[in-house]
Amino acid sequence: MWLFQWSAVLLTTALLSHSVIAAETMTIELTFTPDLNNGRHVYETCAACHLPEGWGSSDGAYPQIAGQHPYVLLKQLLDIRDGHRENSIMYPFVQVRTIGSYQSLIDVVTYITRMPMHPRHKQGPYNDFSDEYRQGKQLYQQYCASCHEDDGRGKDEARIPKLYGQHYPYVMRQVGLIRKGLRDVDPVMKGIVDQLSREELELIVNYVSWLEIPEGEKAPSAGWRNTDFY
Amino acid sequence: MSQKINRRKFLQSSAALAAASVAAPGSQASESGKTVEAPAIGRHFSSPAPLPAQKGPRVVIVGAGWSGLTMAKYLKKFASDFDVVLLDRKEQFVSCPISNAWIANQVDLEFLTHSYVDAAKNNGYLFISAMAIDLDRAGKTLYTTEGAITYDYLVMAPGIDYDYARIGVEDPEVEQQLRMHYPAGFNSASEVMAIKHKIENFDGGTLLMTVPTGNYRCMAAPYERACMAAAVMKQRRVKGKILLLDGNNGIRIKADGFRRAFSEYYADIIEYESSAEITDIHLEDREIETEFDNYQFDDAVIYPPIRASRVLENFRLADPASPQKEAAIDPYKYHLLDDEHVYVTGDSRSQPFSKSGNTAHSEAKYVAEVIIAHARGEEIAWRSPQTMCFSGVKTDPLESMSIIAFYKFDEMEKSFAFDRVHLMEKWSQRSGQAGLAWAEGMFRDMFYS
Repeated sequence: MWLFQWSAVLLTTALLSHSVIAAETMTIELTFTPDLNNGRHVYETCAACHLPEGWGSSDGAYPQIAGQHPYVLLKQLLDIRDGHRENSIMYPFVQVRTIGSYQSLIDVVTYITRMPMHPRHKQGPYNDFSDEYRQGKQLYQQYCASCHEDDGRGKDEARIPKLYGQHYPYVMRQVGLIRKGLRDVDPVMKGIVDQLSREELELIVNYVSWLEIPEGEKAPSAGWRNTDFY
Repeated sequence: MSQKINRRKFLQSSAALAAASVAAPGSQASESGKTVEAPAIGRHFSSPAPLPAQKGPRVVIVGAGWSGLTMAKYLKKFASDFDVVLLDRKEQFVSCPISNAWIANQVDLEFLTHSYVDAAKNNGYLFISAMAIDLDRAGKTLYTTEGAITYDYLVMAPGIDYDYARIGVEDPEVEQQLRMHYPAGFNSASEVMAIKHKIENFDGGTLLMTVPTGNYRCMAAPYERACMAAAVMKQRRVKGKILLLDGNNGIRIKADGFRRAFSEYYADIIEYESSAEITDIHLEDREIETEFDNYQFDDAVIYPPIRASRVLENFRLADPASPQKEAAIDPYKYHLLDDEHVYVTGDSRSQPFSKSGNTAHSEAKYVAEVIIAHARGEEIAWRSPQTMCFSGVKTDPLESMSIIAFYKFDEMEKSFAFDRVHLMEKWSQRSGQAGLAWAEGMFRDMFYS
């Protein structure tokens, strides 16, 4: 069965009225049951850029979203929608008037999570026999593995993204944006990026791009097509 | 019988006059010791343009279309020390992409219209409303109607002009009549407005629409426009047809989708003829000549082939060997082959990329990085521009289909070819909405944030 229970925790800060009384923070928990069929329907809004396969582009203009963790995807969608992650081009796509509200987001996120990943994503320049790869591995284990895990699978419940399978230029670009303060991220992540040199970051990102995608998460070949859309 | 007014002689004599006036001023020795022609008209505009003192390396961008706007924004975003000046003779922007949806009332004019002042203010560069008049490359000076502007880098992103000669129209008066009465609608908002008005008031008979040959602006648009016009006619219950004459030997892009849309929704309205390249036009008889047939029309929207903006030719940057008079530039770095300080981007580029908004936007982001890298003595790896386009086929609500594609250099053909093409010809409301969201995101990116 593709239906499963899913809950999204929404933090809402009540608005200050024009009086001086500050309202307290309220937490509302809502539960949704994903509808995969509607998810496929909603994904048409995304497919033109992220491709029907969700594989993004090897030049890093678009990330591979197929197979990413549901809470990670949901966090990005809400962050962009609410202006916490600046992305002008994506912004109109995630507004309620375009994509729909929470139910639609949960449906589409569920659909994306279940898409098979590109089996030959773009990798960095240094392969797994190189010294650079070994240096990158060491740095990764020292700085990244405690959150993103040794194999790069991340942690869904903590909104820590899956790293394996992501296009090398995309990760390089995001790391660059974080360094320059152009993308807001978790302070722990920001702290780590800031203490590493450009060269060290490049070695880490290269290593990450060579992490293996588990067999069950990959499409059978790069020629696989999502027939929902052609 | 139609009486053709031949003004060829008049044209020849005026061309000779123009040539004489350009050649008249003497030549000057430049800093590099090479002899260059003094700018002819430019000397009247040689006092400096009223700009604030230059702070960092200055990039002057001619043309505030999709390419120029994106370039200006990302130069400032990636290198805040750069001094960026964007120039356009118009004072506001009206988008050509999505204008077919406006024709069919799926968006309003406000959706397409944006202010250059907002763009400059929100993104930290300078916009001036002026016309580029002449260029002195040796002196790195651009002459404009607001005065002379010196540059470290010049980006020419002036867009396109129509080439009526390629449909057999050589008489300037006939060309003027065509521009006035049967505008193509790919170069200014007033042209699109005229077409919208035409379609809303069409009261029967044959409405002729044409598809040019060559690499024209927005490959899918003439077919989409036929669908949008047909949808309006259907709604107004006009008894008439759209004759879509295609100079090519078939629908150029999304062919299955458009064929299906023509037959499923507009079988009684759209009549499509391929391999119908226009060879002559008789305005008085409202008749168009193609190689095989002549066609009568009651009203028309005539889209001639296009070429790079004439300003490239005026600035002696056009490659005489180029059929669409584009500049000879490095296909990866976009600078002139003999000048690493002058770049040509957008629809005036010489690479055979799609002449469309998303292509220009993604390309300009890359070229901004190329220029910054050049200024810092670095190099960056080539990235393909990305072509993305949504085409509406049905209205109320809008339903669209889409394509996304990249390019790669084909060593055998010695040219760029499509790479990684994803064609989604199943149209839907979701895709229709996505197309509008795409445009909104682009406007947001270029103007507001």
